[in-house]
Amino acid sequence: MEKLVKEWLIAEPTAAEQASEYYCDSRTIFQSRLDRLTSELSQKGILKDNLEYLISAVVGEIGNNSFDHNIGNWPDVKGVFFGSEMTDDIIRIILADRGLGLFATLKRVKPELSDDKDAMRVGFIERISGRAPEPRGNGLKFVRESVRGYKMHLTFYSGYAKGDFNEDMVIIENTEKIAGCMAILTLNI
Amino acid sequence: MRLEIKKFGDILTSRPAGKEAFLAMSAYTIRDVSRNEELIIDFDGVKVLTPSWADEVITKLASEFKNVKLENTDNPSIQATLKTLREYSDLKI
Repeated sequence: MEKLVKEWLIAEPTAAEQASEYYCDSRTIFQSRLDRLTSELSQKGILKDNLEYLISAVVGEIGNNSFDHNIGNWPDVKGVFFGSEMTDDIIRIILADRGLGLFATLKRVKPELSDDKDAMRVGFIERISGRAPEPRGNGLKFVRESVRGYKMHLTFYSGYAKGDFNEDMVIIENTEKIAGCMAILTLNI
Repeated sequence: MRLEIKKFGDILTSRPAGKEAFLAMSAYTIRDVSRNEELIIDFDGVKVLTPSWADEVITKLASEFKNVKLENTDNPSIQATLKTLREYSDLKI
């Protein structure tokens, strides 16, 4: 799945826009596939305390962020890559977009941001919205708190920044550039 | 009055959907309700709630009505969302 998403992120636009089980060119398609995943997790009954609903909320926030912050500004391909895989031990969900990325989005409202790492730190911690003056900007904070509170693991990439989120938050420089954002959410069953 | 959130869906995730729900309830459900009346927001039957959807509905209702109570909030996504709104959106309930 990671190989597939990385191929999608750098594919020629016409290839990336090809219909597939992973590419969601609209919010409606993303939402319907997320609803289906939520229902599948619920039917399997493998998670305690309705945790599938929290996973769905986390994935919904990340995926909808892609649409909210890139609408009208997609550099080439609109939409998100959304896929999941399950083994007996692990659920892994991957999302990606070819949007502007955290740095370009947040620098508009916080010009002092210095780089991708700085933007990721601010996006996950500070009360800030790339769509200011709209009063919003709590989505990534919710994602971080949920991951921390329910023992999930999130690896988030944007530009040259890579963030690992579990009980801690570690953001480092990545050698590979992700134009846009990519998120890998992992939960041990 | 009792506002049953499940009437707007059981998976409530996006901000545009929240805006639409708030516009609809403003036109029909709460239009003639006194802002001094007790408003019970009932989450019974709601599976997934995100801060994006809730910020467009719950935060706005809480700022319009003086006496708001929340019921059936046990679901983890509802709990986590309300916690986020209290911390980052000044939700006071």
